Amino acid sequence: MTERPDPAALDLLLRRCVECGLCLPTCATWASTGNEVLSPRGRLVLMQDLLEPTGDGDPGALESFDRCIGCRACETACPSGVPFSLFEFGKELAAAARRKGAMPVDDPAVPSWLVGRLDRKPVLRALGALRPLAVGPRLRRLASSLPSAPGDDAELARLLDRLIGSRQEGAPRPADRDSATHAHGTGDVAIAFFTGCTGPSLMGATSRRLVDLLRHSGAAVRIPRGQDCCGALAGHTGRPQDREKLHARNGRAFAVQSKCDWIVVEAAGCGLELKGSGDFGPAAVLDATEALARLDLPALRPVPLKVAYHAACHLEHGQGVVGPPRELLRRIPALELVEPADPELCCGSGGVWSLEHPDLAADIGLRKAEALLGTGAQLVVTTNPGCLGQITSAVAALGAELPILPLSDLVWYAALG
Amino acid sequence: MDTLDDLLEKLRGVLGTDGLLTGRAAGRIYARDASHMRLGAPLAVALPQNADEVAQVLCLCAGAAVPVVCRGTGTGLSGGALPPDGALVLSMARLDELGPVDSHSRTVFAGAGVLNARVTTHGHGAGLAFAPDPSSQHASTIGGNIAENAGGPHCLRHGVTRGHLRRLWWCDAAGESWVSGRGLACERGLDLVSLLCGSEGTLGVVTGADLALVPSGAAVQTLFAVFPDLGDAVQAVVGMAGSGLLPVAMEIVDRTMLLAVEEAFAFGFPTDVEAAMIVEFSGGAEEVAADAATAEKILLAGGASEVVLAADEDERRDLWRCRKKAFGAVGRLAPNYVTMDVVVPVGNLPRLVRDIQSIKEQYAVGLATAFHAGDGNLHPGVHFDDRDPEQTRRAHAAADAIIQRALDLDGSVTGEHGVGIEKLPVVSRMLDGVTAQLQEGIKGAFDPRGLLNPGKKLPARGTDYPEPKPAPSGLRVDWESLTVTTPANRPLAEVQAALMERALWIPVGAWLPRKEGNPGLARAGRIGEMVEQLLPCPGLGAWGTARDMILELWAETGDGRPFHAGAPVLKNVAGYSLPQALCGSGEVFVRTVAATFQVRPIPPAVGVWVCRPGAIPVGPSALGHLLDAVRSYRGAFPGAVVWYETDGENLRGDCVVMVPGRDTAWDLAVLNGRIRAAIAEAGCDCAHHEVTGFRESVERLEELGLQPDWAVSSATWTTLTALPGDRGHVIPGTSRGILYQLNPQVWWVPEAAASDSPWYADVVWENGRATPPAPPAAGVPLPLLEGIKRAFDPHGNLMTPQWLRS
Repeated sequence: MTERPDPAALDLLLRRCVECGLCLPTCATWASTGNEVLSPRGRLVLMQDLLEPTGDGDPGALESFDRCIGCRACETACPSGVPFSLFEFGKELAAAARRKGAMPVDDPAVPSWLVGRLDRKPVLRALGALRPLAVGPRLRRLASSLPSAPGDDAELARLLDRLIGSRQEGAPRPADRDSATHAHGTGDVAIAFFTGCTGPSLMGATSRRLVDLLRHSGAAVRIPRGQDCCGALAGHTGRPQDREKLHARNGRAFAVQSKCDWIVVEAAGCGLELKGSGDFGPAAVLDATEALARLDLPALRPVPLKVAYHAACHLEHGQGVVGPPRELLRRIPALELVEPADPELCCGSGGVWSLEHPDLAADIGLRKAEALLGTGAQLVVTTNPGCLGQITSAVAALGAELPILPLSDLVWYAALG
Repeated sequence: MDTLDDLLEKLRGVLGTDGLLTGRAAGRIYARDASHMRLGAPLAVALPQNADEVAQVLCLCAGAAVPVVCRGTGTGLSGGALPPDGALVLSMARLDELGPVDSHSRTVFAGAGVLNARVTTHGHGAGLAFAPDPSSQHASTIGGNIAENAGGPHCLRHGVTRGHLRRLWWCDAAGESWVSGRGLACERGLDLVSLLCGSEGTLGVVTGADLALVPSGAAVQTLFAVFPDLGDAVQAVVGMAGSGLLPVAMEIVDRTMLLAVEEAFAFGFPTDVEAAMIVEFSGGAEEVAADAATAEKILLAGGASEVVLAADEDERRDLWRCRKKAFGAVGRLAPNYVTMDVVVPVGNLPRLVRDIQSIKEQYAVGLATAFHAGDGNLHPGVHFDDRDPEQTRRAHAAADAIIQRALDLDGSVTGEHGVGIEKLPVVSRMLDGVTAQLQEGIKGAFDPRGLLNPGKKLPARGTDYPEPKPAPSGLRVDWESLTVTTPANRPLAEVQAALMERALWIPVGAWLPRKEGNPGLARAGRIGEMVEQLLPCPGLGAWGTARDMILELWAETGDGRPFHAGAPVLKNVAGYSLPQALCGSGEVFVRTVAATFQVRPIPPAVGVWVCRPGAIPVGPSALGHLLDAVRSYRGAFPGAVVWYETDGENLRGDCVVMVPGRDTAWDLAVLNGRIRAAIAEAGCDCAHHEVTGFRESVERLEELGLQPDWAVSSATWTTLTALPGDRGHVIPGTSRGILYQLNPQVWWVPEAAASDSPWYADVVWENGRATPPAPPAAGVPLPLLEGIKRAFDPHGNLMTPQWLRS
């Protein structure tokens, strides 16, 4: 059972809202529909309803929270400091109602029994393997929104080489790239690496390259055994007990790494969940971009491309990590960094949200794809597998071509590729 | 009559299930806006996709006698979007079409649901911006901005929303669709755009607009000054207003506000000061650098302890984020607050600020203020906790005392937030009985059944009103606030001469006395003629017409009832904008008694170029080079003039270019290079060039006989350049042209007026007598104009054009 927030404490927080409406344009569900029931300010009004002892029942209110992506862009925009993490309570009630069938829901892209199992690595792996065989619009949508990245290093290098046109003549190759300046894994910083579920299941090569990059940047990296899904998806799908179990399991797995300085998380969504989930001792939980920006990267060669950065909501708004990813990209010589119009808007992925709300997600995704195409960028990079899949699928739906890669893959290419 | 269920069913038929919200959640949410007030629960919420659906919704609601409350994004602060019980909320959020930017004409079409900031982002590539920038600009809609006649920091230089509307698409209460305005700055006739803008959705539903854009400066410099004393900061603003500098924005936040913003965003601003000021200049790089340096000296001399220049775009953005997020950050100070938007003449600002401090102490309330200081507009916010009744009572009493004080200082109860329901109790203090009756008459003519946003904007019938403010008997210049008040019988030339003593004028384009007979478009008659006939037409150095400069009007109705409307302040949305709407209405509705106008510095210099056709025969298109050179000039002063004559094919005689500006190495001198190049490219010789004083150049225009008697004008450069048959830039059948660069606009003096031409032709003077205004364009609601005529001139004592005689 979801814990009901203390009404008095919550009332104080809700009173912070001056109803100015500055959050509306940063909310993807409002921007897509123009419907204020699907806006942060509207949801705050509905929160008050949910607090009333008999307030759980209004299907309209639950539907509003069910449709909240949880991107927290509203929290960044709010001048009054309303903690929009309050919505988690509403979203949990909605998820429970969804499980009980107590609320009208959109026709999901995939059956709900499958949505609830997407945090299991074998399921993800199987879906990844079956991706080419997907038939029917729903399965195709699921398959196309599963993230993927170039499997082997040569494939990644070929893709980027092709984009650049040719390798830059005379571009300086870092002389010390393979020298012992940053001996593999013997650096000053000890990192315990969190892989999440998509990493090992669908994007193993990207994880491996990231670890490689961290090691070449002077960190000693270990991948603790026994770690599991971060628990976010269990939360999203109304399984709070499962979420708690996963938190505990990860806590145990990382407790073994008592000497590590940082726990580095590859996916922005997992990072948000881990940062909020509990005690990892003295080790700081860092997003991979935060870690890389703090480390001494190998010399980077020029990448003369116009690159659009899509800020994953769970990184930008959820974790408040704004500078490091941009700083990393700016460090790459010759790279021109651009951002899409309305950069604060979510792409509509939201973990499994896009599978539960396929039509709304598709519309939001198209808007994001159009904004990214509008930058004239040759490449998009981001830090969350969900965004990667969602944007790839939206760009394809527009019939456009715009490659999208994990940010760390691009840095790897500049440093080690 | 339909039952409500029938109505909802029909609405659903028009809008689809997705476009009509009837649930409890929607009812709760759409019953609120940013005002924190409540009125009632809506019947339903309609989310139309386009103007056609808007019209159908209005038609259905009119059929069922259901009131309609229009809504953008609910960011209004006066409760204008709150529905009374049983009203339909008509959300314009989905009308978000944004047309291509016409960079020649500097216009763009925006649907009512387009977010304000999006228009500026959209124009960015063309170097253009939408000037009104309320703090809510990222969330508020164009439709809402029009309904409230929104302002914002940058309206100091460019004026409020009304001045940036070329054309409105709107629906009346019965669901009929209309287009008002032809995109001309100078159009005689009752100005419906001025009435609709600021009417808070009580007269019609605006579905879209052609917006005028302003050039974004090539360079921007933003100063941040801190003051140990708030009074000094405010006095420095008055000093700056009188310095002749033209900052684009001048803002202050007080210490309490600064603390709240700092807590919210940690910009790193000092919090141990009493006031922080932002002053921004925009224009050419050297120009803004010189102006910012002068401003820095004024601020330091005025008591600033520190003045720093924003080093880069990031710092500049932080400064503006600090200012624009100030409002929302007050949520950190207290659970509730009353925010006011009183406005006073700038010269009275120091007194008001002092009095507000006393009121704060007298009522023992918490108070934070953000100021659009340059135009005398203040946002004092009184904080309270509504769980404490005594505190709540004191907060409201303090707010009322502040509003009364602003009124005593010749101000207005609302500069930009609107009346809504919040200011209904105080707006009556600004109106007299006749003005209130006229406003009701206007409402009745637009919306006879009272279905559009009922219970807003106008005080209820039976309210007591003060006597009309007495009309002035003589000329009165407020040198600190930069306004002039004058009886209608004074010659404009005399008023301008008085202002010229201190290098100021009413920037409408001329001050030379009129000739006998035809007074001429660029000549000045009496002030009354300027107000009634919109003469002179904008010319050299003009910022606009009298309609753009008028602030306050004393007049008499057709049956001799004197009234007063407006206030001597730069922003005022208390009641419908009667001074602007009546300005140019041609003695059809009222007799002008007196008026107040804003004044501005005269241009320090004027560059004059005379070019003469050379040996090569020059076709009309050669003019294009010249016109383009002038058009691309983005100096500190508008109102460049190009005068030419052709014989239909070639330039005939001299072509004269006059550009007001600043006699500096970075301004007119740079332009000189460009103009000479353009003249050479056109195959002409530059026969003469000089930089002269403003007065001398106007006299020179007179000597050359270049003051046209009448003209036709075009709204856009596009129509100018898209003339059929490769005829270049000259309309067939015209021989002379005068270009007026402000909006930009183009005027021609054709051989003969053709009333059916696509050009605006309005012969104002015939044999020394003013003619009635031309009939409005096809499609303009005649019954509406007749209704307004009846309200102002019930017995038909004033001039009634043939087309208005029903």
